[in-house]
Order: sequence, then structure tokens, then C-alpha cells
Amino acid sequence: MDSPDRADFLAGLKPGGKYEGVVGLYRHNVSTDRIGLFDKEIIDALAAAGVKWIAHNGAGYDQIDVLYCKEKDIWVSNTPGAVDDATATTGFYLMISALRCFSRAERTLRAGGWKSTHKPGEAHDLTGRTLAVLGLGGIGLRLAELAHAFPMRIVYHNRRPNPDAPAWCEYFGADRLDEMLAQADVLSVHVPLKDSTVGMVDETMIRKLKRGAVIVNTARGKVIDEPAMIRALEDGHLGAVGLDVFPDEPQVNPRLLDFPNATLLPHMGTETCDSQKKMEIRALSNLRDFLTKGKGFDIIPEFK
Amino acid sequence: MCAATATTPSSTLAAKMTSLPRVVLCDPVVHKNDCQALFEGIAEVLLLDHTANRDDFIRALQPGGQLEGAVGLFERNQSIGRIGRFDKELISKLPLTIKWIAHMGAGYDKVDVFACKERGIGVSNTPGAVDDATATTTLYLLISALRSFSAAERSLRAGNWKKSHSAVNAHDLTGRTVAILGLGGIGLRFAQLVHAFPMRVLYHNRRKVAGAPEWCEYYDKDHLDDMLAQADVLSIHVPFTEETRNIVDERMIRKLKKGAVIINTARGQVVDEEAMMQALKDGHLSAVGLDVFYNEPNIDPRWYDVPNAVLLPHVGTATADTAKQMELRALANLRDFVLTGKGTDLVPELQ
Repeated sequence: MDSPDRADFLAGLKPGGKYEGVVGLYRHNVSTDRIGLFDKEIIDALAAAGVKWIAHNGAGYDQIDVLYCKEKDIWVSNTPGAVDDATATTGFYLMISALRCFSRAERTLRAGGWKSTHKPGEAHDLTGRTLAVLGLGGIGLRLAELAHAFPMRIVYHNRRPNPDAPAWCEYFGADRLDEMLAQADVLSVHVPLKDSTVGMVDETMIRKLKRGAVIVNTARGKVIDEPAMIRALEDGHLGAVGLDVFPDEPQVNPRLLDFPNATLLPHMGTETCDSQKKMEIRALSNLRDFLTKGKGFDIIPEFK
Repeated sequence: MCAATATTPSSTLAAKMTSLPRVVLCDPVVHKNDCQALFEGIAEVLLLDHTANRDDFIRALQPGGQLEGAVGLFERNQSIGRIGRFDKELISKLPLTIKWIAHMGAGYDKVDVFACKERGIGVSNTPGAVDDATATTTLYLLISALRSFSAAERSLRAGNWKKSHSAVNAHDLTGRTVAILGLGGIGLRFAQLVHAFPMRVLYHNRRKVAGAPEWCEYYDKDHLDDMLAQADVLSIHVPFTEETRNIVDERMIRKLKKGAVIINTARGQVVDEEAMMQALKDGHLSAVGLDVFYNEPNIDPRWYDVPNAVLLPHVGTATADTAKQMELRALANLRDFVLTGKGTDLVPELQ
């Protein structure tokens, strides 16, 4: 696909266009820069062209209107598993940085201040502290494994208990969510972005955390109510945050840069050559399996 | 009894009357209540005045000085900033009553233990207490270096999101090989943390470590080059002594495979910093993660311009929990010296 913009892409899908006859797509979020999100307009054009499969590269597929795809009989696969290690490692890094105040320490060093802003009293070891995982899917579970090595105590909230979770992952259902939040030293967000999870980590949830708690987000920026999080940083209810994602990337709310106790990464969760390769091959395998077997392995949950 | 300042005449008198041994804190302790409880009825605890320099310190310890008769000292690397290193010169000027120096910290390179040995002064450090926090720092530096996170955050904060980042140069940890130089308490703890991914763990030590897990693969001196050739990461965990000065030199660096990463949470003097910087420049090393430097706190300013360096200002043990454990451990050593004649953590050189 070489279209520089949406208009060219849509034109290419029409009869006689350069993409005529296409039955399946490999899609990566970078295409958004040129053709925009996979919204109703694009999906209508794809359906009309005869596309039956979108093999998305990535675990999160919020850039595709998948419910509309379902209506138009276009199937969608993603790449779960392939992202787990790199994303969990990113969450792990953000958690260590937040608890240890390392981001600020490096910034102070680089500004010529050595460790003048570092107060050991504000920095904490991980061992023995409690990590609460919001959404124990592949990534959340991988983070739990890494954190358990210290050990940290692992608690989690999921719509239903995860049958693959080891015994040391303590489940807290919806009725006990507040109880979980009160015990968390760190809350790490691992839910996909969909209508039901927009702003899920809101003022109420944030305030149920103990004072000084840390929030880590490697999921999607919109899952957290950003103004609520900022207020909690301002009044010290949150001790620190570690963020890899933001509501309106690549824009970053400049207010976040003011907090000394924020570690901020530009959506680096899967940015390794190893993981990029795994993800690409996974997505292409899904596309190939659609062609050879009629369907890919990683059909997204909305279609099951 | 932890005095708030150097003693007043009346408390000196009181001390003489109670004839409790006297110990001196060269730096204030954070956990004053714990200190008090430790020494209650056992020793009189005196605090060196915060304005005292080396000469004041020596004078205060002499007969007639405010700290006269002291038998033991508690010191930490912070004290060095005011009174200087516990080198041969300072040690030679300590009164003969001083028989113990309880150092707060695992690395005691700023205390001349051989000069102490000659004077019959015992020295203790605080092994174990530092392991978790330091190993965690090492792990953080490793992830950051392999993933280019430091440069990525700087890029975001400069308003450039991740414009110049390429995933080509960033790697997962899982399945990669880390070589640990010195499998002591910290090295072993670090090995445990990276094994969780898992990373493959190789190590070099003067002797094979008896209690090490079987997945820690030992490489002795004759096979050191073999170990280096397989390492994606070399992590340094040896103490700084004359034997280890510049042990990670040009030769050792060049034995690493191209693109390797070096992590140092030990001491800056253990690595040839110039050779390391050059290897980064010519691409032999792909990245470094450093918590320690050759000349802290006045580090070589060229480090700021090395794009693939992640730098921390010697904060390896700087947490509330660990700082407390280290402090109490050092005080316990001092107390045990007073009670039994020696502290548990007598440094290896004096054993």
C-alpha cells in the first residue's frame, strides 16, 4: 500500500483502482499518519472492494472500528502474545523508575546537579510491596511474573479470574475492587481501550488508592482520566507515575513534564527489533492462514 | 544516648561517672530512636559536630577533646566529604583508644583497611543490606540501556516524541546473555532478577561460588575471554581494591562482542572510563548504564553527550528501606564491637 493519503487509498480500492481484487490487509498503526483511522468510511470502502480480513500488527486495535467491521463481514486479527514480553518489560521499568525516583535522578545529574534532588526517604525498594494489575491478560501476567521475582505481592482485577494465573496472583472481583486498590503500592494498567474502558481509571478509582501510590500505564492513555491523575499528582495523593502512553499521542500534556516524579516514555512498549519481528510475523501468519485455511488464529474477542 | 551535638562538659562528666565506652558518629544517623535503643546502657554515643573538618575531628578525639576516649567510629561516605578519606594519614592520627570503624555501606574503598590492620583497628561494612536495592538499580540500568529508554524520555521531554528512535537498536532481555563480574551478594541478587526473564547468566569470580544456582555458569580466569565473547551484557559487581583498579580495561572491553552493553553499579575506578567511552564512540559498545563514575560527583562532562548512556548519580542504595537497614547494620556492628570485641561484618582483609 503506497497511498500517501486517505483520498488516494479510497480511490485505489474502487473498481479499476490499484488495489482492485484485494481480499486481505496487513495493517500497522503507522498507516494512521497517512490514511487515518479505520473508521466507517474506510471500512465501507474495504467491504465494497471485497476485503474479508484485516491482520492488525499490534495487540491493541482501538484504531479500528471492529464492531463495524463485524457488521460488514470483515474479520480482524491482532497479535497477542508477541507483545507481552516487551510491553511488560516497559511496565516493569516504569515501575522501578517511579518507585526509585530514577528519572528525576538522571535529569538532575545531566543538569549538573549530581544527586541534589534525590531524597532516599522518597524512594522505595520493590521487594515486599504490592503490585495491583488491572487486567490480567498476556501483558499483565508477564509483568506479574517479573515483579514476583523480587518478590512483590501480586493482586489483580479482571472481569473474571484468569485460569492461567499462578496461585500467587490474588484475584479481586468487581465487588472487592476497592479493597484491592487500598492495598496497592502500584497500580499497573493493562486493559484494552474500548468504549467500556475509556476513563476507567477515574477520580474515584485513583482516590481509593493509598496516599503515595504509583500508577503505571502501558495500555492506552485514554483509559486513565488524565485531569484526575494530574490533580492527584498535584496534591501528592499519587506519589509518582510511569507512563508509556498518552490520550493524544504524539502530543503530551505539558503539565506532566512539571512533575519531578513522572517517568515518561513515548510509547516504547514494543519498540525492540526482536518484538517488532515477532509481531510482524504473527500478523502476516494470520493473513496467510486466512488465505490458506479461511481464517487466522488470532481472531479478536469481539468476533468470537 | 544520642547527643544532639558534641558533648557539653556536664555530659562528659556524666559519661566518666557512668564509664560507659564512648563511640562517635562521624555523621548523624537518621534513625535516632533505633540508635538510642541499640546503645542504651552499652555505650555513650557522641555526634561529631557537623562543621568539623579533618583537623577538628582529630583534635576532638585527643585527650582533652570533646570526643576523648572514644573506642569506635560510625562513618559513611558522606563523612568523607568533610573529614576526608580514612587514609593512612588520618588513621595514623587516631588515638590508640580507637579500635573499630563501622562503615555504613558495602564498598569501603575510602577506608585504608591495611593501615587499620597495622594499627589493630577493626573495620566492618554492611554486606547484604545493600544487595536488593543495588541489584534493582543494575536491572533498571540494563533495561534502560538495552531499550534506549533514557534517550527516548529525553526525546519526549524535548518535544520530539520518539523521532530519532529506531527499534533496530533496541532489544528484549529475554534469551540474551549477561556476564556478571563478581558473584557476591549483589551479583547473585541481580542474577536472580534477570533469570526471571530468563536471561542466560554467566559469571566470573576468583573462585566458584558454592551456593550459586546451577543456572549460573562459572567461568574461571582461564576461560574469562570465552565468557566475554558470549556476553550481550557485562555487569560489574567487584569491590574496588588495588587488584581491581581498571580491571575492566581496553583489552577486556574489546573481548566483548560488538554491540555489547556494560553496566556498572560497583565503583567507577574498576573500569577504564576512557576506554569505555571510546568503545561507545566507535560502536564496539552499543550502550552503557552507569551508577558510578571515576570522579564523583565531578563526572566527566563528555558523558552528557553520549547518546546511548544512561546515567545515575550513585543512588544504588538510596531508598528509605535500604538506607535504614544499612544504618542499623553499621550501628549493630559498632555495638557488637563494644560488647564482644568485634562486629559481625569484619571486612575480608582483616579476617
